Amino acid sequence: MKRTVVPFGPQHPVLPEPLVLDLVLEDEKVVDAVPTIGYIHRGLEMMVERVEYSEMGFVAERICGICSFMHGMGYCVSLESIMNVEVPERARWLRVIWAEISRIQSHLLWLGLGADAFGFENLFMDCWRMREEILDIFEKTTGGRIIHSVNRIGGVKRDVSDSELAAILVKLEDLGRAFDRTAGVFANDPSIHHRLAGVGVLSATDARAVDAVGPMARASGVVMDTRLSGTSGYDQLDFEPVTETAGDCLARVVVRMREVRQSVDLVRQAIARMPKGEGLPLETRPRGNPAGETFTRLEQPRGEVLYYVKANGTKNLERFRARTPTFANIPAMIKLVKGCDLADVPNIILTIDPCISCTER
Amino acid sequence: MDREAFLARVGEYRAQGLRLALINVTTIMPAAAPVHGARPEAGGAATPEAGQVVPADDTPGDVFEVAWVFENDRDATLAKIREQVGPADVIPSVSAMFGAAFLYENEMRELFGLTVEGINLDLQGQLYKTATRVPFSHAAVKARLEALTGATAAPAGGQAAAQTPAKEARA
Amino acid sequence: MANPLRLPMAPRALRNLVSRPSTRRYPDEVRPRFEGARGTIEFDVETCNFCMLCMRRCPAAAIRVAREERIWSIEHLTCVGCNVCVEVCARKSLTMSRDSKPVHTRADVGPLGQRPGHEEWHGADPATAATPSLPAAAAVSQLPTAAPAPIAAAQAPSAAG
Repeated sequence: MKRTVVPFGPQHPVLPEPLVLDLVLEDEKVVDAVPTIGYIHRGLEMMVERVEYSEMGFVAERICGICSFMHGMGYCVSLESIMNVEVPERARWLRVIWAEISRIQSHLLWLGLGADAFGFENLFMDCWRMREEILDIFEKTTGGRIIHSVNRIGGVKRDVSDSELAAILVKLEDLGRAFDRTAGVFANDPSIHHRLAGVGVLSATDARAVDAVGPMARASGVVMDTRLSGTSGYDQLDFEPVTETAGDCLARVVVRMREVRQSVDLVRQAIARMPKGEGLPLETRPRGNPAGETFTRLEQPRGEVLYYVKANGTKNLERFRARTPTFANIPAMIKLVKGCDLADVPNIILTIDPCISCTER
Repeated sequence: MDREAFLARVGEYRAQGLRLALINVTTIMPAAAPVHGARPEAGGAATPEAGQVVPADDTPGDVFEVAWVFENDRDATLAKIREQVGPADVIPSVSAMFGAAFLYENEMRELFGLTVEGINLDLQGQLYKTATRVPFSHAAVKARLEALTGATAAPAGGQAAAQTPAKEARA
Repeated sequence: MANPLRLPMAPRALRNLVSRPSTRRYPDEVRPRFEGARGTIEFDVETCNFCMLCMRRCPAAAIRVAREERIWSIEHLTCVGCNVCVEVCARKSLTMSRDSKPVHTRADVGPLGQRPGHEEWHGADPATAATPSLPAAAAVSQLPTAAPAPIAAAQAPSAAG
């Protein structure tokens, strides 16, 4: 049978960032897929040579606009671990709250893009309208909608008053209710079902074989969530990882929707458990230069992110490596794309929640 | 590096159900190279920071430290294999056991210039498109560091010029 | 498979038809940014003592200070709005305004052809500090010649328009 090669990307309506997949087709079926990335490789890891460790946090949070908060947080947590700095309690809780709100924002973005991918523009706009509420919360509390710049080594730079937190929680609860209606559309609309159910099935064994992380793996029934390890303030929160068993695109949509609700619940728990009051310490100043190395893991919206930081006692780090979840999920994506129809390729690719700017740094 | 022992260990980790979390390469710059982060004194030569720790390097030639990191999701522990390799060493691919390793291994080749043999999906150097061919090779890193610390040649301009060189070079 | 006759989005779609749009008619309607939003850096040269701490701490190297010549300048288009300079300034000379003003239009394209977004202040000569409102006596001072070559000096004048 004759084979055709159709390049998917680098520009495509479903892709938030450029990615090339050369699809080898037999008729309408994809037989092979060869990836090429590097269109937005900015050499951010090379910046450690020129930027001091105290300033590298600002570079780290600009690795990606969607996962920005957790990159900044992950960098600071790594340096705090190397320099043995204890973050004040209120700062730790604030980080958790911002991180979970960031997760809600990311999932809403993805749900909107997913809807746009199969042509449901009304639903796309609906999700993004809700996302605007979250971005307003970020602007009020951190000063920026996307890039927050509140994480510092040793804590956070801004406080959010208890009354403000209570107001945020009310807003999130309202959002949760509005979101329930949208989630109903995703779950019940027959056209969405037709496009997503049974498409791109990743079995649990395959998910483990390709070392998938995040909702990609959880939708296939693999119980894996970095927050369970209890680091960075998650040890005092009660939650179960959200899993589904079907392993198809629809299951991944459902996992992310349920995680939005879970994040609202986690914010509620965090606000209830954090120390209350004004003027509590927010930052512990680190002393001297960092020396040593560490591995830090956080659960970003897309899965587990792993930071490797190596410092040698000077003002510049020796190595900063951010292994982002999309980097780990690309093999899963390639596996899923093989054997599917050409028309399903955009949906499958979008379903790993590709954040190529994170992948390429 | 002992390839058989290495592959045996990796096979063991696969059998235990660990997940490949990261294959990282660090370019270990030898002590003789220009130091990181040195801020030159006004009009003087580059001086190392007080208390600076520069990794000792006994082996001749360029050294890279490669770390294979495997994660146990049940108890959130990491198992690491570390090897010091040079550009002439041939590193065996682990992609037979961990299919997802191809991305890391292609990156090792393209960004660091290491030789990895037997990758299941070999992208033939097409994965990244970088301006410098092997941006993290010792030569490239050394050239960049020299450009940074060498930018102190005090121009006609007074004290202000000497204060700004490292930042200037960055801008 | 889901019932093909269900239209779960219908109520929302109908409501969208009759309700007002969620989008603002920008630029006719502008939402003022929230209090505490990070916009543009504002500087008060009267209070500055030219300690140069802001320049050393700026992660983007957007600030340049010439102590001898008493010139403080910032490249607004390089500034990333991290707020570190505001936090470290001991004299509180720097503030972060909440609005992002269009900085390229207020470029004083300097004698060196500095890029659009460049803003510069000249401080009073410390010898005459008793009357700080006197303008700088010297002619427009040059920034240190070690400044990196601007992005094509030819660009600056046309971009200012």
